[in-house]
Amino acid sequence: MEIKVIYRGQERTLHLEGEKVKAKDILKALNLSKDYAFVVKNDQVVSEEETINPGDHIRVVNAISGGTL
Amino acid sequence: MRKCVRCGKKAQIYLYSHRLSLCSEHYLEWFENRVERTIKEFNMFTKEEKILVAVSGGKDSLSLWHTLIKLGYQADGFYINLGIGDYSQKSLQKAKNFADKYQLTLHTLDLSKEIASIPDLKAYDSRPTCSLCGSVKRYYMNKYAKEKGYAVLATGHNLDDESAVLFANALSWNVEYLRRQYPVLPEDDGFVRKVKPLCKISEKESALYAVLAGIDYIEEECPFSEGATSIEYKLYLSQLEDKSPGTKLRFYSEFLRKLYPLLKESPRENLQKCEVCGEPSINSLCNVCRLKLKLSSHKEKI
Repeated sequence: MEIKVIYRGQERTLHLEGEKVKAKDILKALNLSKDYAFVVKNDQVVSEEETINPGDHIRVVNAISGGTL
Repeated sequence: MRKCVRCGKKAQIYLYSHRLSLCSEHYLEWFENRVERTIKEFNMFTKEEKILVAVSGGKDSLSLWHTLIKLGYQADGFYINLGIGDYSQKSLQKAKNFADKYQLTLHTLDLSKEIASIPDLKAYDSRPTCSLCGSVKRYYMNKYAKEKGYAVLATGHNLDDESAVLFANALSWNVEYLRRQYPVLPEDDGFVRKVKPLCKISEKESALYAVLAGIDYIEEECPFSEGATSIEYKLYLSQLEDKSPGTKLRFYSEFLRKLYPLLKESPRENLQKCEVCGEPSINSLCNVCRLKLKLSSHKEKI
């Protein structure tokens, strides 16, 4: 399944295997951990078990940041 | 399907380290209560005091500012323009937009007018860019807060920042740095009080708050932070957290509870006033005045 995602302000296309894709599959495809990243589906924060369909508007948020304040 | 523990509606968020399921509305409430409890636990400040929030345009500082205002504190923002090209322009705009949206006061300081931009300063300092930038920012944040009459300077350091720094300091057993790693540093020797109200909030919890509260923050990373050791340490700790949720909170909280009381009795580094600007410094010349000297001698050579 092909899913378009917005990640750090840029659109990316992910090619995921299987007919049913969950939010956790998107995190895995981007090599992100649930400890610091999450998925926003159609403007709603969703759990890792949420099903994702090709037409959904998907934003992935990676909370990790570096440097010093 | 997990349900919100407060209202029974479908939970959007599950906090592994707290074993807590929440809907978006009750997540915002949980976050604000947790920040309030942290402020009170460490006697950070009161509602009568004027607070200056160091704002970068990122999720942590804007979530902190938003929360303090919602909790009824007197908080103004302070943005330092570091002169890092497009990144600084975008982050300044995010900070300004936030201040305009909630009709808040945002002070700004242009580093290129005070000394030089971070990319220019980099040529005169051998430290990693993040260390140089941190030291220059701390100098101007403290100086500005004092000059403008703020009692307290609040920064958006979160649990992941604190546990990564603790990890780094423990690796080298840097006692002086460990001794200063407390969420409240009282006003002393030319310093205003410094506080970290998000010290028990994880980086993800902070980003969740920003997204759910509709805060428009800069998601892209500072170009100089790529490969920073702080990110490496965060990723190591995250692997532990994945296997055993609550590890970071335990690591940091138990340091504060068990080790900090012993460290705070250890002898402190003696501070003096910088010969040029009068700001507190370990050496006769502070870091910023030393950089200014290097810059002016370079210009003379040209």
